[in-house]
Amino acid sequence: MANFFPRWSNLVPFQIAGSVACIALGVAAGFAYYATPKAQRVGYQPDQPIPFDHALHVTQNGIDCRYCHSFVEESGHANVPTADTCWKCHQHVQTENPKLEPLRAAVDESYAGYTGKPIEWVRIHKAPDYVYFDHSAHLNRGISCVSCHGQVDEMRKVWHDKSLSMDFCLECHRAPEKHLRPLEEVYNLKFDAAEYLAAHPELGIKVEAGEDAQLALGKALKEKWSIQPKESCFTCHR
Amino acid sequence: MSDRKMNKAEETGTKVWRSLGQLEDTPQFREYLEREFPEGSAQIETEEDREVTRRSFMKLMGASTALAGFGLASCRRPESLIVPFAEAPEWVIPGKPLYYASSMPSAKGAASLVVTTHEGRPTKIEPNRLFSKQGGTGTFAQASVLNMYDPARSRDFVKAGKTVTRGEFEEFAKELSADLNKTAFVFGEDNSATRDRLVGEIAAKHSGSKFYKYEALAGEGQKLANEKVFGKGSAVIADYSKAERILSLDADFLEMDQQGPVSGFYNNRAVEGPQYDQKPDKNRINRLYIAEGIFSLTGGMADHRLRIAPSQIVRIAAAVAVELGVSTQVPAGALGEFEQKWVKECAADLKAHAGHSVVVAGSRHSEAVQQLVIAINQKLGSYGKTLKPVVTNSGAYGKLTDLLADIDSGAVENVILVGPANPVYDAAGFAAAAKKLKNLVHLGERLDATANAASWHVPAAHYLESWGDSYAADGRYTVVQPMILPLYGGVSELDLLVALLTGSKLFNSITEGAKLSPAYKEVRKTFEGIGGAGDAAWTKLLRDGFSDKGAYAAAQVGAADLSSVVGAAVAAPTVEALEISFLADPSVLDGRYINNAWLQEAPDPLTKITWDNCAMISPQTAKDLGLYEKLVQLEPKGKLYGMVDVSKPNAPVGPDGEGRDRAQPVIKVVVNGAELEIPVMVAFGQADNLISIALGYGQGYDEHNELGLSTEGAANVSQVGVNTGFNAYLLRTAETPYIATGAKIEDLDKRYSTAVTQEHHSMYGRAIAREISTNDVEHKGSFEKQLEGVKKQGVDSHAPPNISLYKQKGSSTWHDKYQADEHLFDKRQQWAMTIDLNSCTGCNACLVACQAENNIPVVGKTQVAIGRAMHWIRMDRYFAAVQKTDINGQLITEDDGHGHQVPVYDESNPEMIPQPVACQQCESAPCETVCPVNATVHSEDGLNTMAYNRCIGTRYCANNCPYKARRFNFFDYNKRNPLVHKNLYKGPLGEKQVGEAPHLQRNPNVSVRMRGVMEKCTYCVQRLQEAKIKAKSVLKNKSVAAGVPSAEVSVSDAEMRPPVNSVRVACQDACEAGAITFGNIQNGDKETVVRARDSKRNYALLNYIGTMPRTTYLARVKNPNAKMPDAKAIGKATISMH
Repeated sequence: MANFFPRWSNLVPFQIAGSVACIALGVAAGFAYYATPKAQRVGYQPDQPIPFDHALHVTQNGIDCRYCHSFVEESGHANVPTADTCWKCHQHVQTENPKLEPLRAAVDESYAGYTGKPIEWVRIHKAPDYVYFDHSAHLNRGISCVSCHGQVDEMRKVWHDKSLSMDFCLECHRAPEKHLRPLEEVYNLKFDAAEYLAAHPELGIKVEAGEDAQLALGKALKEKWSIQPKESCFTCHR
Repeated sequence: MSDRKMNKAEETGTKVWRSLGQLEDTPQFREYLEREFPEGSAQIETEEDREVTRRSFMKLMGASTALAGFGLASCRRPESLIVPFAEAPEWVIPGKPLYYASSMPSAKGAASLVVTTHEGRPTKIEPNRLFSKQGGTGTFAQASVLNMYDPARSRDFVKAGKTVTRGEFEEFAKELSADLNKTAFVFGEDNSATRDRLVGEIAAKHSGSKFYKYEALAGEGQKLANEKVFGKGSAVIADYSKAERILSLDADFLEMDQQGPVSGFYNNRAVEGPQYDQKPDKNRINRLYIAEGIFSLTGGMADHRLRIAPSQIVRIAAAVAVELGVSTQVPAGALGEFEQKWVKECAADLKAHAGHSVVVAGSRHSEAVQQLVIAINQKLGSYGKTLKPVVTNSGAYGKLTDLLADIDSGAVENVILVGPANPVYDAAGFAAAAKKLKNLVHLGERLDATANAASWHVPAAHYLESWGDSYAADGRYTVVQPMILPLYGGVSELDLLVALLTGSKLFNSITEGAKLSPAYKEVRKTFEGIGGAGDAAWTKLLRDGFSDKGAYAAAQVGAADLSSVVGAAVAAPTVEALEISFLADPSVLDGRYINNAWLQEAPDPLTKITWDNCAMISPQTAKDLGLYEKLVQLEPKGKLYGMVDVSKPNAPVGPDGEGRDRAQPVIKVVVNGAELEIPVMVAFGQADNLISIALGYGQGYDEHNELGLSTEGAANVSQVGVNTGFNAYLLRTAETPYIATGAKIEDLDKRYSTAVTQEHHSMYGRAIAREISTNDVEHKGSFEKQLEGVKKQGVDSHAPPNISLYKQKGSSTWHDKYQADEHLFDKRQQWAMTIDLNSCTGCNACLVACQAENNIPVVGKTQVAIGRAMHWIRMDRYFAAVQKTDINGQLITEDDGHGHQVPVYDESNPEMIPQPVACQQCESAPCETVCPVNATVHSEDGLNTMAYNRCIGTRYCANNCPYKARRFNFFDYNKRNPLVHKNLYKGPLGEKQVGEAPHLQRNPNVSVRMRGVMEKCTYCVQRLQEAKIKAKSVLKNKSVAAGVPSAEVSVSDAEMRPPVNSVRVACQDACEAGAITFGNIQNGDKETVVRARDSKRNYALLNYIGTMPRTTYLARVKNPNAKMPDAKAIGKATISMH
């Protein structure tokens, strides 16, 4: 019987197997990099109907987070301010600024383009439907905005700063001391644990040489406040 | 048959599809949403306006997030929007529920409620604990919220079957309002002070206007008797809190025929006191006697139950009256020897407790029975003690018979129907009379037979959408407060009355929603006359939901008039002349809840049938009529319900004929010259020669109905109510409204598929439900001895203790000597529940409450039939035969042929024990160990939790659950409408129901589960988490209170606990009997649940398998009268169970 297959074809199965393996690895690596929240969400910075500048309002004007996100200590949701909240100041300040037209359309009845329709902000941070994150539970126990949202006080246009993946949540639930701070400092996004400890010697928290001040403070607070973050499913999923 | 095989059968059987575009008008609903946005964000001028606008649902919708389609960055999630209010309404905190007090008016007295609203949507009904400590709401109140969101609700004005504009009706109303003489108003049987006032004003203005009250099952005999003895418009309110001995004459006074608040009864039933804080004392328990035809839930609670046809109740009443010294003329001698003895001892017991005893008669009974009962109660001195006669305003209204006469005589030309009744369907003679009318105006929530027959139909607002007032069961004044503007622009009863009284334009909630409605002003005006003027009293009323002022006044007690008793005796029914008893249905009541899917799917407490009614007969009658063999075998059709109507006599069938193959024989019932084809079913404990049929079903059929019935009435029901049950109103006449005699039946040799969730004849052998007696029991000793023995009933009496070979590190509840590991054991809270079988009647309120709270889908009849009902609580109901006794009360035994004396059991009058079973939250849970993906795991606080997003649907857990507490989403019941014929089997082509109105009822704090996911009770984990999160603010509060920086404050575990008894779960809240306790066992005996667990009656289900459930049960205690002939047989129904 004739030799149907040339000699080089002996290697073909191995070559195919090798290529498939490479492609599979590539797909897996690509998926791992591009399809995770870290790649999908971090950096998301959509245009908003009003180019609201957090850096200007928080850092320059010194407005507290809770002036606008008023129910964040009460409710699971951190509410986006209603138009009349903005209007409290902006009926006096920057009244003619064209950037504020959507706001005037929502609340200013004397404005020609008044519609009364609420402003439609573009959502940046979103937990999946099956996750029940509660802002008040975290803020009332000494976790700051900055831990999940980044330095919003320095953002001229807000972007998604942390991955907010389940891994991200668990990291903190396993070691809350990395983030805990006194309740008074929760909304101070420029908080520095070392400075705080230096200013409050009466707390008696000693920082060992080479130890991180935040860790020392966090551990002390965790102990004192009986912080026991849970890792079981029902903490977030119900 | 395997699932795969069955699915194939379904697919090939697909033939006809039903279009529901008209009924399910989704685009129209969305349009309503769209249009209301701008209005919702309008300016708010005054404080009063704020009151109204804060309830504006459409405005609050602005707070929700809208999906805005896919952007260019398609790798990312679709862009979504956050739309905050333009102007914030007061009190609304996004993400936090708001609670408002209101009440649900009903003929039996309004239920005072607290309604949970999420972002303006009412989602859940809770009892008003300020009104009554024990609370509870009952099944109908729980389910009423779904009625509001019913997508089939009427939303258009209709003139003679054609949709017209609102303006056309307004024109008509204006014209009519000029002259209301010869116009009749027909209201519901509930009482409303504002309605009464407006009616008075209309009557003053138009002397020829007439007013009536009508509901199909209002109990005319009782009203008539009360009117004669206590004056016009009077009612009698029973107070069971002072009643130590109760005799019920065919009155289901705990459930369907409530005659006063029931909490007192349950408090007196508690062996250790309602708070479980006293020593078990058999003397503090009340004793309940009942004589009835069919097992009611009250009958299930009774200590002594006499099985007797309803027509014979008058004899029992007369016999009791004679025993108590009332002179009457009914031949009581017609009673049998057993009945005579029963009556004698019962009457003696009532007499011995005179002043602390009460006799109640079913409201459905004749005036003769009612007069006898009044005479008995007068002899017992019940009035002023256990019975409170009061004067209501209903004396100003006529009856239906008056209306029919007035129509006949021409005194009435226009009829305006504003009540919940559906007289074209449920009142004999009304449809014919209506033809003589010039105008029949119908105000109603649904397009029922009356709406479709009326010359005008006006869409009504639901009670959660309207202002009003009412009176509670105990006579207190309550307010009806809207939670939301009418979803479909419905008109409230009071608004319509005001428009007709004043000739003003009808209030339009769509265009004028920001303004105060006339109804609000009228209710406020009424209340000014009751609680005084000023904002303080009014806001207190709105906050509390009721007022201490304005309750019914007491009525004068007259003498009973026993003249009607003469000739009231009716011959007992025989096989040749059967008796029919018409009943209110626990699911659809008188038919008004036919479109409520939660109620339709809730299994009937007695028969466990869903989505249908049946004619019920006793086993003996079935034998006498030659139906028994058929009923026992329940010959299968061989195919799934509704598929192909072919009989396969030899197809396999389970021992009980359960599941998809169940098909009831169909009979024809003939009485009063009318006939009805209806499937027949065996009901245990029913009197012989009696047919019981629930009313309210059979309002419309479409082409998919199994028996090929006329589709004439298809437009009278929605896709929920279509093809459900059979209309027994056809057999009912004005002369025989509740009891008809001389009926015959005919076996039609047909079958009808039914979906029955449980048809167990006995307890399957295991001592799951347990019962003891206050009397001494043979071999078991005294009450105290029996108490000790509760934990040792059944297998637990001899099973060796469970010793785990695997020493699980962690919970000290597993192994005392191991120190608890914080990782597994939370010192702050450990949750537990107890269910007290001594007060549980099996009414389904918990089941429906759970459905409302936890977003549990409805699956439809076909799916229920194949065992796919999704209720997390399974309401089990056991019948247990009792041992036969002779007339002297001696137990009857017989020789078993081996020289042993064995008991003889009487299966004709068994005891009924209901038992709700949900996930038992086992500490050592068998389900957890078999899940391959850890989707069901234990929490630190003792819950067996579900991570739904992790579940891959292997169903191993359900397989391994000894309590069968898990439910599996075989289809996407939430997304695909299971009520559309065969919709589930169409896959992606099926009709979707996402975004429709019922989805607005969903609890936002609970995941909506999808296909292929296992689900079960998790102790309302969302409520537990909320309580725990609330407790977290203790740190801030402490720091602020002490005025020191938070870093100097320390917080202990005990401080982080939610307060004692503060966490309540949905089933517990709904229970009128207070049978369910729930709480944190770490609080020690300050917590009610801990005291209940410490009770000697406490036991765990299947304790011997070592699952260590956190939910435990408390044994039922029967309190028989030792002198009664059946005393020795009572209270040991479960004694021989294993």
